[in-house]
Amino acid sequence: MQLKMANSEQVSAFKGQDLQTQALREKALLFCVAIAIPSLILILWELTTRMGWIDELFLPSLSGIVSEFLAMVRKGYAGTPLLSHVLGSLRRVFTAFGIGTVVGCLLGLLMGYYKYVRAAFYVVTEILRPIPPLAFITLFILWFGIGEVSKVLIILYAGALIVMLNTMAGVQSCPKDKILAAQTLGANDLAIFLYVILPAALPSIFTGMRVALSVDFGILVAAELLAGDLGIGYIIQDASTFFNVEGLFVGILMIGFFGVVSDFVLRVIASKVVHWQG
Amino acid sequence: MSQSPVRSSIGSLDHYSQPEDSLAEIISLDNVSFGYSRKRLVLQDLDLKIQRGEFLTLLGPSGCGKSTILNLIAGFYKPLLGAVTHGGEEIKGPSARRGVVFQSNALFDWMTVEQNIGFGFRFQSISKYEKQKRVETIIGLVGLRGNERKYPYQLSGGMRQRVAVARSMVVQPEILLMDEPFAAVDVQTREGLQEELLKLHEQVAGAILFVTHSIEEAVFLSDRIVILDRNLGGIAHDIEIHLPGPRYTAMNRVSDEFNQYRTDLYLKMKAIE
Ligand SMILES: Nc1ncnc2c1ncn2[C@@H]1O[C@H](COP(=O)(O)OP(=O)(O)OP(=O)(O)O)[C@@H](O)[C@H]1O
Ligand SMILES: [Mg+2]
Repeated sequence: MQLKMANSEQVSAFKGQDLQTQALREKALLFCVAIAIPSLILILWELTTRMGWIDELFLPSLSGIVSEFLAMVRKGYAGTPLLSHVLGSLRRVFTAFGIGTVVGCLLGLLMGYYKYVRAAFYVVTEILRPIPPLAFITLFILWFGIGEVSKVLIILYAGALIVMLNTMAGVQSCPKDKILAAQTLGANDLAIFLYVILPAALPSIFTGMRVALSVDFGILVAAELLAGDLGIGYIIQDASTFFNVEGLFVGILMIGFFGVVSDFVLRVIASKVVHWQG
Repeated sequence: MSQSPVRSSIGSLDHYSQPEDSLAEIISLDNVSFGYSRKRLVLQDLDLKIQRGEFLTLLGPSGCGKSTILNLIAGFYKPLLGAVTHGGEEIKGPSARRGVVFQSNALFDWMTVEQNIGFGFRFQSISKYEKQKRVETIIGLVGLRGNERKYPYQLSGGMRQRVAVARSMVVQPEILLMDEPFAAVDVQTREGLQEELLKLHEQVAGAILFVTHSIEEAVFLSDRIVILDRNLGGIAHDIEIHLPGPRYTAMNRVSDEFNQYRTDLYLKMKAIE
C-alpha cells in the first residue's frame, strides 16, 4: 500500500516535471517561429532585389532603404532635418492622443455613470460611430484651415471617440454587487465612483487607449499626406510623388516603429496600473 | 413606525403591549408584501422579527424568497406594502449599520486584503491608530495573518470569503446579512469558516441573518431557524436551537442533540417540498 503510494507520487512528480519542460520547449519553439518567419521574409526580400527579380521601382533593396535613411539623417528631407519631421509628427499625434484620452475618459465616465448624460449623447455617438474619421478630414480643413489645428483635431476626435466608448463600457461592466457592498460599508456616491467604479473601468480604459493610439497613427499619416510640409506622412507623400521608393519605405517603417514602441510603452504602463488582474 | 394607531390596535396586540419586547428587536418586518414586478408577488404579509444579537438562519426551498428578504433588510429594495424597520426606523436604503456578505464575496480586486477590510473605516471618524488596531485584530481572528498585502486574485476561495466576512464585521454593524456565504467553498474550509464566524459573532455583538441550504450548517450556527414555505414567503416553522457548551466546538457537529435537530428539520423541509 505504502509502496504503491510512493510510486504514484513519484509518477506524478515526474509528470509535473515533464509538463514543465514541455511548456518550456513549446515556448522556445514559438519564439523561434515568431523570429524565423520575419527573418525569412527579410532574406527573401534582399535576395529578390539583389538578383534583380523585381524592379527596384516596386520593391527597393533593404540596403537601399538603410542608406536612404542614413542620408536623411545626415541631410534631412526637403530642407528640413529628419528629427524635425519625426518630432513634428509625434507632437501632433501625442497632443491629440493626450487631449483625446482626457476628453474621451471624462465623457465616457459621465456617460457610463449617469443615465441622462448617456441618453443625451446616445443618438449623436451612434451616428458618428460607424463613420470613418477620415471622412471628415476635408471638412475639418474647411473649418479649421489647412494648418496644425485641423490635423490635431481630426486625430483627437478619432481617438476620443474610441476612448469614450470603451470607458463607458468599462463603467457599465462594474459588477453590481461591488457597488452594493461599498454602499453597505457606508460609501457615498463620490466614494463609490472613486474607489469602485473608476478602478473597475480602468482595464477597459487602457484597452480603449491602445486601440485609439494605433488609430491615431493612421489618421496622422492620412492628415499629413493631405496637407503641409512637415512630418513623416509628408515624407511618404513627397517621396512617392518623386518615385523615391526608398524614401517612401523609410517613412512607412518609421511609422511602424513609433507605433510599436508607443504601444509597448502603453502596455507596460497598463500592466503597472491594472496590476490586480494577475 | 409608519403604522397608524388604529392599525396597530387591531393588529397583533401582544407585540405592542410589551415595550421591552420591541426594545429587544433590531429588525422587524411587519405585514410585508413584495414582488420584483407588480404582476407577481414574492412575499405576502410576511412578519419576521430579528432580536438584537441573535443568530437567525433562513431555510427554505429554492425560490421561496430568502434572498429577497435579505435584499429588503439591506435596503436594496423597498416593500410594496408593510414596513421594514431597523430599531423602529424605516429602512430607506443601504447603510453601514447593516452589513452584507455576498456569495460572490464582492471584494475590491484593486485593493489589498488590508485595504479591503479597512474600506468601511474611510467613512467613519476613527483614528488611524484605532483603525489599524481593529483591522489587525480581525485579520488575526479570521486567520489571514501574513496575507495583509496580498490582492484577492492571489487568495483561495475560502480566504476571499474570510476577507469578505472580516470587511463587513470590522465596522461592527448592528446586523450582518449573509446570503449563502460559504456555498462555494469545500467542506473542510467551510467548517473552519463556520467556527470562525461563531467566534466573531461572540466578539462582535451584532445580530446575524444567515441564509443557507445546508441543514447541518443551520443547526451548527443558529440560535433560531426560520423555515419558509414554498409559497409567498410564509413562515412554516420557527425553531429555537439549544446546543450545549461553547457553540463552535466541533463536538457539536456529532452530538445527539445536533442529530435530533437535524432529523427534525430534515423531515420538516421534506414536508414542504
Ligand atoms: N432581481 C429579480 N428580478 C425579478 N425576479 C426575481 C429577482 N430576484 C429573484 N426573483 C424571483 O423572486 C423569487 C424569490 O427569489 P429569491 O432569490 O428571493 O429566492 P431564494 O429563496 O433566495 O432562492 P435560492 O435558494 O435559490 O437562492 C423567485 O421566484 C425569483 O425568480
Ligand atoms: Mg437566494
